[in-house]
Amino acid sequence: MIAAVAVILLVAEQPQAAEPIIIGVPTSLGFLEGKESHKVVQMAVSEINAKGGVAVGGQKRILEVSSMDIRDAAPGVPVPEALLGIEKNILEKKPVGIVVGPFRSEALVAAMDLIAKYKTPLIGTIAMTPASEAKVKEDPEKYKYVFRNCLNAIYLVKYLSGTMEAINKEFGFNKVYIMHQDVAWARATADGVKKSYFEKAGWEVLEQEAYPTGTSDFSSALMKARSKGAQVIMPIFDMPQSGTLVKQWKSMNVPALMAGFISPLAGTDAWKSFDSKIGGAVNCVFEMGSAIASDKLPKSVAFYNTYTKIYGKELQAGHGPAPAYESVYILAEAIERAGSLDPDAISAQIKKTDRMGIMGRIRFDEGNQVIYGFDPKETAVAAVFQWTEDGKRRIVFPESLADSKIQLPKGLKSAK
Amino acid sequence: MFLGTIIYGLLNSAVLALMAIGFNLTFGISGVANFAYGAMYIFCAYLSWTLFNLLDLPYWLAVSVSIPCTMLLGALMYRLVLLRVRGQALSEVIATFGIGLAILELFHYLGFVGFEYTLPVLIDDSILIGDTMVDWQRLLVTGVAALLVAGLWAFTHYTRTGLAFRGIAQDERTALTLGIESDRIAMLSVSLGCGLAGLAATVIIPLGSISPSEGYEVLIKALAVCIIGGLGSSGGVIVASFLIGFAERFTDTYISSHWTMIVSLAAILLVLGFKPSGLFGRQKELEERI
Repeated sequence: MIAAVAVILLVAEQPQAAEPIIIGVPTSLGFLEGKESHKVVQMAVSEINAKGGVAVGGQKRILEVSSMDIRDAAPGVPVPEALLGIEKNILEKKPVGIVVGPFRSEALVAAMDLIAKYKTPLIGTIAMTPASEAKVKEDPEKYKYVFRNCLNAIYLVKYLSGTMEAINKEFGFNKVYIMHQDVAWARATADGVKKSYFEKAGWEVLEQEAYPTGTSDFSSALMKARSKGAQVIMPIFDMPQSGTLVKQWKSMNVPALMAGFISPLAGTDAWKSFDSKIGGAVNCVFEMGSAIASDKLPKSVAFYNTYTKIYGKELQAGHGPAPAYESVYILAEAIERAGSLDPDAISAQIKKTDRMGIMGRIRFDEGNQVIYGFDPKETAVAAVFQWTEDGKRRIVFPESLADSKIQLPKGLKSAK
Repeated sequence: MFLGTIIYGLLNSAVLALMAIGFNLTFGISGVANFAYGAMYIFCAYLSWTLFNLLDLPYWLAVSVSIPCTMLLGALMYRLVLLRVRGQALSEVIATFGIGLAILELFHYLGFVGFEYTLPVLIDDSILIGDTMVDWQRLLVTGVAALLVAGLWAFTHYTRTGLAFRGIAQDERTALTLGIESDRIAMLSVSLGCGLAGLAATVIIPLGSISPSEGYEVLIKALAVCIIGGLGSSGGVIVASFLIGFAERFTDTYISSHWTMIVSLAAILLVLGFKPSGLFGRQKELEERI
């Protein structure tokens, strides 16, 4: 009897291990961007836990990842199904914060009310529509929990416009054929570059074509681009099939520079996957560190190399991983500054973020969007690179990170 | 551009014919509408990819293994599931659709999604026809489609198994009295249809990439071609392939690529509205079913 009481007392006196802090990762885990983002979130969590975890109320608590595949990136999956997944993740796992989040902009905008209802801070790192920022600005109190740490369509427009300006300056090209995926962010980006740059700079937009997700034959458009005398083809796609466009461009010998965004072209694997037929293509990586790193931003190199060492493979997604990794640190630092797990306090601290990371300097604007620019000391940065004919990638824009200038593919002559 | 559209319309028609021919063959012989057809196409593609990339087999050997495996899977599907619901059209559709869904979602669950999942082109070169550049792989697809049509015709007219196929297609009961085992032949037709889906995948996929969603696309396209041509009619499949193939490319070129994907669906609605059995669908006549 005495022994039993002693055991009970001993157990009672043992310090209770603090509950882990759950970070939710509801996203399209089956897609490359979602898959790699999930991996880097785990990587960041392991790094933080290795140092003892996050300090909250005088106690160190470890982080734990709770992921859920909401499949919103898959064609035909309705937005309500994605919302159901997010709600399930929030209700069952009770995450202190969510990172990565919905893939499709349509799902993000719809999920904002859910996030506001359950007061769960979200740092989105994939969906890109500026509509979410507009909602935050319209009702900042209600939507103060929603942040975006990746490039949005407005900043992508600026990057693509800057690239087109450089092409015009260097080669005198001013005839463009625009091809984009028929989804909100790609439409917004294509319209944005057309209105804010091509029309103002006097370019001739030969055609702007939208392709349903899943399209894998672009031969007609390439024939049209050729016959109409396009000098530049600007693609904007994030579906796996879009790499075929570049292969077809190469095999059909279309005499135009391919410059824009095609997600499958971002990583090193693209060279082998597309039969070495992508030399000359100019492509945008949405965040420095995602699929590419620059010696001019050493933290991006360290992140890229650490991932390669841990997972035995280089990062391939040009959108998602770098901000997903950063968002774990942003959330962890906000929790420490807030000193509690109160969602209002955490959101207020996320808003005050000012850190130098793998993407450059990270701060949020009044729409809770990370501020992008062309100088990593001042803002977050993306990168535009060109595949060389021998399978290497050279950063060509912005100037602060550029390794070389854009080279014209074989057979294409400068208009100057 | 007009000549280019004609050329690419022709090539697109060959792709569609190749995609649909296996589905049509199975339905024409056994009456089974194999809604797992798209999944079999993707299964064969992923298996070829795995053998080629992970086991480093030469591509020809990977294909030589994966097509028979796809046929075996089709035969098992018939033996283990379809045999029990044979003759109940709705149950057959539900069962095959369910199996197809399970296969495609399994690949999705296992993480087989990404641009790296593609197959190599057999001939990596292009040729200039008029002022249109065409890659050899598309010409190869056209050649394979033409050979396949001719080969299937010869098979169903000059081999014992082919004649048995036609016998079952004509009248199953009479065929039984002649010693033709209808269940065995139906199993072979499902298996052969799956094999043809696999063959189509190994020559068409190098033009694009493999993804589970492609399975649904292939099924819809095969259905569109067969419904428009008339379910079970080989001639109908060829004609419908040309109709849809050219309609898609002309829509791309002269209207907008935005509308291309609905061409085949609109054509199905039109045909079902005006001639529900399809352009050549006289399913009760043997010559229209083989």
